[in-house]
Formats: sequence, C-alpha cells, structure tokens
Amino acid sequence: MTRYPKWAIHLGLAIICTLMLIPFYWVLKTSLTGENIFSYPPAILPENPHLFYYVDVWYSIPFFRYLVNSVVVSIIVVVGNVVLNAMAGYALTRDFTGKGSVIMLFLSCMMIPFQVTIIPAYLITKELGLLNSHLGMALPLCSTIVCIFVFKASFDAIPKSLIDAARIDGVPDWMIIFRIMVPLSQSAIATNIILAFIWSWNNFLWPLIIIRDNDMQTLPLGLARFLTVVEDTTGALYAFCIMVLVPGLMIFLLAQKQFIAGLTSGAAKG
Amino acid sequence: MAFAIRKKRTRELLLIWFFLAPSLLIFALYRIIPLLWNGVLSFEFWSPYKPAEFAGLYHYEEMILYDDVFWQSFWNTAVFMASAPIGILFALVIALLVDTPIRGRNVYRTIVFMSYPVMTVAVGIIWQWLYNEDVGLINYILRSLGMSGRGIPFLNSSTYALPAVIVASIWQVVGFYMIILLTGLQNIPQSLYEAASIDGASAWQRFKRITLPLLRPSIFLCFVIGIINSFTNFDLIYVMTDGGPSHATELLVTYIYRVAFKLGQFDYAAALTIVNFAFFVFLAWLANRLSGGEAGAVEST
Repeated sequence: MTRYPKWAIHLGLAIICTLMLIPFYWVLKTSLTGENIFSYPPAILPENPHLFYYVDVWYSIPFFRYLVNSVVVSIIVVVGNVVLNAMAGYALTRDFTGKGSVIMLFLSCMMIPFQVTIIPAYLITKELGLLNSHLGMALPLCSTIVCIFVFKASFDAIPKSLIDAARIDGVPDWMIIFRIMVPLSQSAIATNIILAFIWSWNNFLWPLIIIRDNDMQTLPLGLARFLTVVEDTTGALYAFCIMVLVPGLMIFLLAQKQFIAGLTSGAAKG
Repeated sequence: MAFAIRKKRTRELLLIWFFLAPSLLIFALYRIIPLLWNGVLSFEFWSPYKPAEFAGLYHYEEMILYDDVFWQSFWNTAVFMASAPIGILFALVIALLVDTPIRGRNVYRTIVFMSYPVMTVAVGIIWQWLYNEDVGLINYILRSLGMSGRGIPFLNSSTYALPAVIVASIWQVVGFYMIILLTGLQNIPQSLYEAASIDGASAWQRFKRITLPLLRPSIFLCFVIGIINSFTNFDLIYVMTDGGPSHATELLVTYIYRVAFKLGQFDYAAALTIVNFAFFVFLAWLANRLSGGEAGAVEST
C-alpha cells in the first residue's frame, strides 16, 4: 500500500504538524518575552524570557476567582453528567411502554443546537432565579444525549446472563447496579467525565448571557473581558491565554483515548 | 402471586421513570420549551417590560424584506459552511498520511488533533495576534517574502476578515475531521486493496474505486459537522471581530445574540432564531438525504 518513501511521509507530516503548532508557539513566545511585544521585526525566539506577564495576570485580575468559578461549574457538570446520564442510560436498557418515544425524543433533541434556544433559555433561567449563579451556568449541560447513549451502549454490552444470575441469587436491583454494572462501565464513565469537563470548561456563550456579576465570571469570560479591556496591548493577555489553555490540554493529553472514542461515537449518532 | 408480580412491575416502572426524569426535565427546560417558546415569541410584540401583543408575520416580513444585516449574516453563514470542504480536503490528506504504517504516527495524530479541544475563546485570541497588522506573524511572513509592502489589517478589512476567521476555524476543526476520516479508513477491509492489487489496479485507481466510495459516509459526517459548526461558531467571531467590520463577519448566531442581548429585541431575535433553525434542519436533512441516510454509518458499526 505504501506508495511514497517513508521520509516523504514524515516530511509531509512534519510540515503539517509545524503549521498546527506555530500558533501555540507564537502565543507562548509572546507571553514569555521580556522585550516590547510591538517591536518590529518580531523576534522568533523569546528575548530575555521571563515570567513577568504571568505574575502580572495573577495580581491584576482575579484569576483565582475565575478559576474557582470554572472549576465549580465543571464539577457540577461532570457529576451531573455521570449520575444523570447513567440513570437515563440504565432506564433505556429496560423494557417499558413509551421507550420508543423517549428515544425518539432524545434523538430529536440532539437536532436542536443549544444556540437556537438561548433567548427562552435565558428567560427560563431568570424565572428560576438562577442568573449569576454556578448552578445556572451548569444546569443546561448537566445531561447530554450523546453521553446517555454512551452509557446505554455500555450497559447493553454487559451479558444478560450475568445480571440474571445475580437476580436469581436474590441480589437487589440497586446492588446489581452498583456492584456489577457500574464497575463494568468504567470506560463509559471516563468518556462522560472527559467530554463533560471539556464542554463545560470551554463553554462561553451561555455564561456570557447569564452572568453579569464580575465575581461569577468563568475563565473564558474573564479572558474575553480582559481582551476588551486591554485590547492587545500587553503580553499579559497571552500569558492569561496560556494559563487557561494548559489545564484543558493536560486533561486532553492524559485521556485522549476516551475523549476521541466519545467524540466519534457521539458524532456518529448525531 | 400475580398481585406480587404486578406490584414488582409497578415498582420497576416507577424506578425507570424516576431515572429518566432528571434528564427529561433538563431537555424539556433547555431544548424543547425554548424551541416552542421561540416559535410563539416570533409572532408577538414582546419585551420584558411590556405585555405580549399578537404581531402576525410582522417580524418575518421585516427580516426578509428590510433587514440587510440579516441577509448579510445569512450569506456569511453560507460562505462559512461552503468553506468546510477545504478543511475536509486537508483532513483527508492528513488522514491518509497518518494511516500509513510509519513510526510516530500516534504523535502526529495527537498534534493535529490537539487544537480541537482547546477553548475557542483562546483560539480567537491566538489568531487575532497572528493576524496583527504591525507585528503579527502572518504579516511578518508576507512582508519578508515581499508579497506585501505594509501590514494588512486582516480583521479590520471587509475583504479579508471573513476568510481570516474561516482559516482560524479550519485550524481548530481539522483535527476532528481527521479523526473521523481516519476511523472510516481503518474500517475499510484491507483484503479489498489486496484483491485490487492482484488485479493490477494502480494506487490512484485503488484510491478512487475503493477508498473514496467506502469513505463516503465519513466524508458526509464531516460535512454535517461543518454545517453545525457554521451555525454554532459564536465564540470565535465574538472574540476575533465581534461581527465586524460593519457586519462583514456577522453570522446568524452572532446576529441573534446581538439583537437579543445587546439591542433587547427578544421578539425579533426569536423570529431570526426560527429562520436559522429551519435553515439548519433543512441542510441537515439535505446532507443526510444526499448521503443516502448513511452519514457516519461506518462509525456506528
């Protein structure tokens, strides 16, 4: 099947990867540079690299406050997803009247992008008194259809005989769930955690709409706001950018396999 | 005995609905009710401070006959969508390269994919810096190569702003396309290629007759994602250009946000949303139809 020599493929891929990495590098360089970031020509390597801008970000904006908000929202979303999706996924493995309609409903909900619901969703959140709150930011993301189906597929894959055997031995239902089904669904749980985390961590439009309070801003909001305040006049903006990128990238690199598996299975069904 | 069984059955049903209830509630609150509410709102005159009044088709008439910005953002969305094949083509080349049995292919895959899970707000900031008129890397390269005398203000130019944003968007999503295409490639049975080789098919013929037809569902899936992307890519536009200059990069989604939350015209924004959603459903249906209802079929096996 190989038509080209290996070095040519390596060369091609090296060029592509360089193109993909340059934007990251450029921002990292700018954030570390000690010189005026507006001198021309721009330096390719950071001159007198130091961490001044990082310290600047830490003290000039409530970075820690933003971080806590982001983490709190992400925790609510992750816990919500794992628990609620597992429950719904389990229910869908059982037979009951109306199951077909519920599945149809879920599939058609998937066709509704969140972006087309923002106006009433804002009004509803206002009625619920959840504007400017962590729960308000987290709630719409707390259960995702893709992830319900990830759980359903995982539960369906557990051999019926195993569960029947446990039932005959008189093991109660809740214990079957916690002792047999949950431990056998670790990869579904991992997929849920990672997708939910990345979605909530990166979420921007929804918090932008419902958060007015400066104390409640999450990292992406803080970042966008910082951009409008300082425009692009300071390297601190790019230091902030790197500080926001790192946690997301770390988690992605650690759990790449589950992330990709979740995305491809979700995309296929969407 | 029968009574006991029925009782057990009732308890089981209760448990099932109890398990489904929270998810159903969330989808009702944040998907179904909003969609219906949008429909109602779009036929009303309404603002948070005054009672609703029936408006008939007023908002739709206004939008279609008089609102130039609506049409501009409509076309921009279409252009954004039409750019998806470029990204998919790149992704196909990369997928073919990383599908070959070479060392370090997992590293290459990771690097190409890495820009996808990154926060889009940060992507926007990274790219507006690359596009900077005076010291941006892109202008620096263009000037060094002598292709341009002075810096081009990409994001402030009505000609270049939309393509510039599209390039950033392709950079972010190309890794995702690649993963989908790669999954598709890996599902093509190797025996087909061997049989074709024995029959004397050239590499190009094998690609055209085997790879492309069998990859069709994956390619269509990428198109569907490209369509979704053009309807939902709010963050990038908001950060890079905020729809400017003079609406040159306004997409439907950013326009809806502006009308609703900056101008406070919820009723008109609801009508825009309904048109946006209808357009989206139509395209998704069309894509599915063209692919013979098999978008992503390979993945689900």
